[in-house]
Amino acid sequence: MPGLYPDKLRLRRMRVLKKASLLVMLGCSAWLVDAAADESQPEELQFEGYPDAPAFTVAASERKSRHRRCSRCHDKMDPNPTIRELEDAPHVDYISHGKGHIWCLVCHDEQERESLRTLLGEKLAFTQAHIVCGSCHANREKDWYFGGHGKRLSNWQGERVIYTCTYCHDPHEPAIEPRKPKPAPSIRAGLEKMNNDQHTDVQKSQQPVTKSRQDDND
Amino acid sequence: MTDKRDVQASPPQVNHSRRKFLTKLGAAGAAGSIAGPAWGGQSMQDAIGDFFQDHYRRMTRQEIDEALARIERKAKHRYGVDIKCENTPPQEGVVFGYALNISKCKGYRDCVQGCIEENNQGRDSQLQYIRVLEMDKGTMNLEESDHYYESEKVPAEGKYYLPVQCMQCDDPPCVKACPVEATWMEPDGIVAIDYDWCIGCRYCMTACPYWARHFNWNTPSIPAEELNPNTHYLGNRPRPKGVVEKCHFCIQRTRKGQQPACMEACPTGARIFGNLMDPDSEIRYVLNNKTVFRLKEDLGTEPKFWYFTD
Repeated sequence: MPGLYPDKLRLRRMRVLKKASLLVMLGCSAWLVDAAADESQPEELQFEGYPDAPAFTVAASERKSRHRRCSRCHDKMDPNPTIRELEDAPHVDYISHGKGHIWCLVCHDEQERESLRTLLGEKLAFTQAHIVCGSCHANREKDWYFGGHGKRLSNWQGERVIYTCTYCHDPHEPAIEPRKPKPAPSIRAGLEKMNNDQHTDVQKSQQPVTKSRQDDND
Repeated sequence: MTDKRDVQASPPQVNHSRRKFLTKLGAAGAAGSIAGPAWGGQSMQDAIGDFFQDHYRRMTRQEIDEALARIERKAKHRYGVDIKCENTPPQEGVVFGYALNISKCKGYRDCVQGCIEENNQGRDSQLQYIRVLEMDKGTMNLEESDHYYESEKVPAEGKYYLPVQCMQCDDPPCVKACPVEATWMEPDGIVAIDYDWCIGCRYCMTACPYWARHFNWNTPSIPAEELNPNTHYLGNRPRPKGVVEKCHFCIQRTRKGQQPACMEACPTGARIFGNLMDPDSEIRYVLNNKTVFRLKEDLGTEPKFWYFTD
């Protein structure tokens, strides 16, 4: 049916098909190459951050977590890496992060609880929390690197010092608690908020009056 | 737009002889009545100097220095504090822009507090450069916003917060409205006011679609120990009563590379400030990568203040 498939469209379909087959071939060969590389060099997959992002240093920040220092107990305990419900631990009532889908050793190092670990198993200090947070919250992390998320200290020009994620967010309960605002400005005379209920009441009470006038006119 | 620095660099014209004459006259007057109650508590020389002070952009460098010295002396008299009034020029190749993340803003009003303290606003004058509007989620009707919310906890359920301050428009209607040219746009994009040239007619307040300009009804009363001594002629110096004031992107800080006080005070990181001309700046990242909007964009005032969401 030549009428149904104008030449242009058919050409495009052909091209798409060609491209697809090409991609499949490329993919196969790439996989073969990857497999070959894997044998010689075991895993070299690492997130290097964003090299284009403006340079920064992470500000020293206070400890945000409400938990006690992990080492106080865990230095004396044998690590148990089995994923399980923590029933008797003193910190169970307060880990809303991940809504039960993650547990301590996803972010904390198994041997040394006061160090962090990435999903790839790299050990990191608490000050490098952004790398750990970024392994799930990639969009936020990108914004943070480029200055769209997070807080920069004191200047807009010159050395860029920014807080890491855990300065503002408690890592175990990342949502920020509501708090009392600073006092409201005083209301200037004549700018008081209009009471809309009263306003409609007045309109309602006026309605019958106009109606009776109309009646009179009739 | 004429460059202020060009104007300053040009040789003084008629003012020269007049200033000499006035200085002599003032000196004579000061000798006659040292620290008397006349002249509003200042020397006759300063009173005369104030009276004949020219427009900021017409003053020569020397005249500006004299004006700055007068401001410092006046503050010393009024508050007993040694302030430093500067005239930091705009930086080359810098145009300031601001972006505010309304997903992050929680309505704490910390920015308002930071602004009042930085900019020497009267503690009782009902004058704030920033207004935080509480809005119903899903609405954008500024007329139905609440400026005076007093919740126990913010963010309140079903509300979001929209701080409004001077948008530093690129085509500012307030500048067009001013009959005496007391307000203009500086080369770094800040719409500045010469508080000594303003006649207090408030036309600019009517012209501004953002409620950004405020009339100073009384002499600001500030406890001496809270007075911010680092001031700028076009910025946070103690202002006279009866003039119009507004946000100036903390000109006394930002021209030296510091953040505006509202940004520094904001605990959420919702405020992002920087140089629009620098393609690697944080503000440019936001403008390029986020969904941004400006208030009342249809009016064509070209605000340099953007709002965005995560």
